[in-house]
Amino acid sequence: MFKILKNTFLVVILGIFISACSTTAKKSKSTSAGDVYTGTDTVKYLATGVADRVFFATNSTGLTSAAKATLTKQAGYIKASKISVVIEGHADERGTREYNLALGERRANAARDYLMTKGVAKSSIKVISYGKERPANTDSSKLAWSQNRRSVTVKAN
Amino acid sequence: MKKLCLIFISILFLNHSAFAVVKIDITRGNLEPLPTAISKFYIDKPSKFSPELKALELDKKISEVISNNLKRSGLFSIIDQESYIQSPRIAHAKPTFQDWALIKAQIMVSGKLVIDEKKRLRVEFRLWDVVNAKEIEGLALFATPNSWRRIAHIISDKIYERMTGELGYFDTRIIYVAESGPKDQRIKKLAIMDQDGANNKYLTLGNELVLTPRFNPASQMVTYMSYFKNLPRVYLLNIETGMQELVGDFPGMTFAPRFSPDGKKIIMSFAKDGNSDIYSMDIKSRVVEQLTSHPSIDTSPSYSSDGSQITFNSDRSGAQQIYVMKSDGSKVKRISFGQGLYGTPVWSPRGDLIAFTKIYRGKFYIGVMRSDGTGERLLTENYYQEAPSWSPNGRVLIFYRESRTKKSKTGFSTSSSLWSIDLTGYNERKIKTLTDASDPAWSGLLSK
Amino acid sequence: MYKSVSLSVFLHLAFVLLTVLTLPFVKKEPITAQQLIAIDIIQISEKTQLPFAPKAREIIEKIKKEKKKERVVTKQAPPKIIPKEKPDTVPLPDQLKLKKKEEKKKKQNPKEVKELIRQSSEFEKKELFDPNKIAALIDKSKEETADIKKKQSLELTQNQDSSVTLNKGITLSQQDAIKAQIYKCWNIPLGLPFDQNLLVRIKLKLKEDGSILSSEVLDHRRMNQPGQAYYKVLAESALRAVKLCDPLKMPTTGYDKWKDLQLNFDAKEMLRG
Repeated sequence: MFKILKNTFLVVILGIFISACSTTAKKSKSTSAGDVYTGTDTVKYLATGVADRVFFATNSTGLTSAAKATLTKQAGYIKASKISVVIEGHADERGTREYNLALGERRANAARDYLMTKGVAKSSIKVISYGKERPANTDSSKLAWSQNRRSVTVKAN
Repeated sequence: MKKLCLIFISILFLNHSAFAVVKIDITRGNLEPLPTAISKFYIDKPSKFSPELKALELDKKISEVISNNLKRSGLFSIIDQESYIQSPRIAHAKPTFQDWALIKAQIMVSGKLVIDEKKRLRVEFRLWDVVNAKEIEGLALFATPNSWRRIAHIISDKIYERMTGELGYFDTRIIYVAESGPKDQRIKKLAIMDQDGANNKYLTLGNELVLTPRFNPASQMVTYMSYFKNLPRVYLLNIETGMQELVGDFPGMTFAPRFSPDGKKIIMSFAKDGNSDIYSMDIKSRVVEQLTSHPSIDTSPSYSSDGSQITFNSDRSGAQQIYVMKSDGSKVKRISFGQGLYGTPVWSPRGDLIAFTKIYRGKFYIGVMRSDGTGERLLTENYYQEAPSWSPNGRVLIFYRESRTKKSKTGFSTSSSLWSIDLTGYNERKIKTLTDASDPAWSGLLSK
Repeated sequence: MYKSVSLSVFLHLAFVLLTVLTLPFVKKEPITAQQLIAIDIIQISEKTQLPFAPKAREIIEKIKKEKKKERVVTKQAPPKIIPKEKPDTVPLPDQLKLKKKEEKKKKQNPKEVKELIRQSSEFEKKELFDPNKIAALIDKSKEETADIKKKQSLELTQNQDSSVTLNKGITLSQQDAIKAQIYKCWNIPLGLPFDQNLLVRIKLKLKEDGSILSSEVLDHRRMNQPGQAYYKVLAESALRAVKLCDPLKMPTTGYDKWKDLQLNFDAKEMLRG
C-alpha cells in the first residue's frame, strides 16, 4: 500500500518535472525568435475581443504566449457558440513553395492542437495550408512577412 | 611472330623516346559562341501547293526558329543573314566555302522545302563545316505544313547534337503556372508552351489555385497540385485528352509531386497532423508506399536518373537541408552542409548532379552539387528564385524568379518570371511569357 | 501454326507502320551518308630506325650542340616579334617584308633585343637544368666505379625522353609563339561535358613556309566510339583551328625541328572555369 503511494507520488513528481521541462522549452523557443508580429493590423475578429489569428516567428511553428492567449479566447468562443472552424496555416514568401506548404500545415496544426487542449472537439476543426499563396499583406517587406506568418481561424459554413 | 612483336615493341618504344616530335599543349582557346551562318531555306519543285507554302513564308520562318534556338543556347552566334553572299539554293546544293569563310562563319546550315501533290511537306537540311569544306550532317523530314515549328526544333536538335555530342533540348515543351491578379487573390492557371515560348496554351481556367506542375519524362502526362474544392491534393492530367484524376486517397494534403524517371510512379509529400512525410504511388496498381516517417517536414522529393535513389529536403536537423536515401526509404543521409538553408533538390536526368535552391543571408541561389554533397557550385544569386527544373539533356536549368518592383505606396511588390541558365553558370536568360509565371518544368524530348 | 505466327507478325508490323505513319514525323531519311573526318592509319615515323638507347655521351653532346644552336635561333627570332597578327589573315609578301624590317630595326636597337634574349635564355636555363645535371653526373661517373655508372646511366634513360624532346625540338619561346597563334584560331565547343577527358592530339606536317601539309587526329578510333560523340566534336574543332591558322608563322630556321608537330588540344581547363 505504502509502495503504491510512493510510486504514484514519484510518477506525479516526474510528470511535473517533465511538463515543466516542455513548457520552458517551448517558452525559450518562442522568446528566442524575435520577429513575431505583435500588432493588430490585418487582424480580424471572430467576436468582440476574439482575434482570428496568431503569428509565428520565421521558420517556426511554436506558439507564443500571446498566441496561446488568443487561442484560449477562441476556444471559449467556439465551445460557447457551438460552431465548426477551419484553421488556415500560412507562411511568408521567403521560403521555397513546397516547404512553405508543409510549414503552413504545421502552423495550422499547432493552433488546432492548442484549441483541443482547451476542450474544442477535434471533429469541429479542419485545417488547410496555403503556404505562401495567400498573403495578408501583399508588400515585400519584413513587416509584411511577419504579418503573413500566421494561422487564421475561420468560421466554417 | 615473336620477332614481329619484338620489332613492334621496340618501334613503339623508340618512337616514344629519343626522337619524338615536338609536342605543344594547347590549353587555351576562344570561349566565344561558334560563328554560325543559317541560310534561308528555299522552296524547290513547284507544285500546286507551292503558292500556299510561299504565303506561309516557311522558307524564312524555319531558318528563323533554328537561329533563335541556337542563339538562345549560348553556344552559337548567328551571323546576320544580310551578309550572306550565296543564294539559299546554291548554299544548299554546292556552297562555295570561301564565301562563307569570308563572313567568318565556321559552320553553315542550309535547307530546302518541297511540298508534294498530297500536301506533304518535305524539309531537307544540311550542316556544313565551312572551315574544313565539307558536309557533316544532312537529313530530310516529312510532315504536314502546320507542324513546321516542330521540324525547325528537330533540325535545331540535330545541329546541337552534331556540334556538342550531347542530345538537344529544342523539341520540348515547358509547363508552368501563369499568374495574374493581386497577390492576395492571385489567379493561377496551368499553362504549357513550346520551349521557345511559342504555342502558349492554358490547361486550367483559374477557378482554383494550382501549383507545381511536373512532366512525366516518358509521356504527355502531367502531375500537379490543385486546391479543387478547397482540398489541396495531387492530380494527374493527360494533356492530350484533358482527362484528369486524383492521385491516391489520402486523408489530408498531398503536395510536391514528381514522376519517377520511367514515368510509372509518382512521389510526393503527404501532410497529416502537422507532419509531412514522403510517399510513392504506383500509377497503375495504385499501391502506396510510405518512404519516410520522421516528425520533421520531409518534402520536395526527386528520383535519381536510374530510379534507385531519392533526394528530398527535410528540417530534421533543425533547418531545411538536402538528404539522399535509397528508393525504398532506407539509408537516409544528409548531403548539404554549407551555410544557409537548402531546398528543392532535383536530380539531373543524366548523371550525378543535384540542382537546388539555397537561401543564405536573405538571398536566394540556384546551384548544383554532386549527389554525395561535394562540388557545390552556385550558378545565380537573386532576391528570390527557386525550383530549378532540368532540360532533358541535363545541360540547362529553368527556374522562376520573383523580382522586386517599386510600388507606388511605401513597400515593394514582386513580379515573377521564368529564367534559364546553363549548367556552367553562363547564359542566363529570361523566358518570355504572356503573364507572370512560376513553377516551370521541362518535358522530355517529344521525338526520341 | 506457321500461318498464324506469320499472320501475327504481319499484323503487328502493319500496326506499327500504321501508328508510325499517322504520326507527323514518319520518316527521317538521311539525304547523304554522314561524312566523317578522313581517317588515316597512323604512320610510324621513319626515324624509329635510328639506334635504340644511344650512349650517354652522344646524347649529352647533342644536348650541348642543340643548346648552342637554339641560342642562336633565339637571337634571330626573338619570341615577342613572332605573332601579333591576326591568325586568319594570310601574310602578304609586303607584310612579310615589313616584318623583317621590323626585326632588323629591333636588332639595331641592341638594348631591347638583349633584354629579350636574356629573358628567354634565363628561362631556358631553368628548363635545361636537368640535362646539365645529368651531364655533370656522368662526367663524374667516369671516374667512379662501374656499379655507380650503371645506376646513373639508368637514370639517364629515364630522363632522356623529356630532356631530348626539349632540345631536339624548338625553344619554349618559339613554342609559346605557336601556342599564341593556335589559341586565337581555336573555338572551343562550349557544350562539351567538362568532367570528361577532353584531350585531342593532332599531328601536323608542315612545309618550310609554315603552311600545313597534313593534319591528322591521333586517337581517331575514339571518334566513332559510342558515348564519345563529344570527342569527335572536340577533334573537329581542333582540326578547324589548325585550318584557320594555316599557314603558321614558324621560326625562319630549324625546319627539321618543327616540320613535324604534335598539338595536344585540351579543353578541360577552359571549360571547367
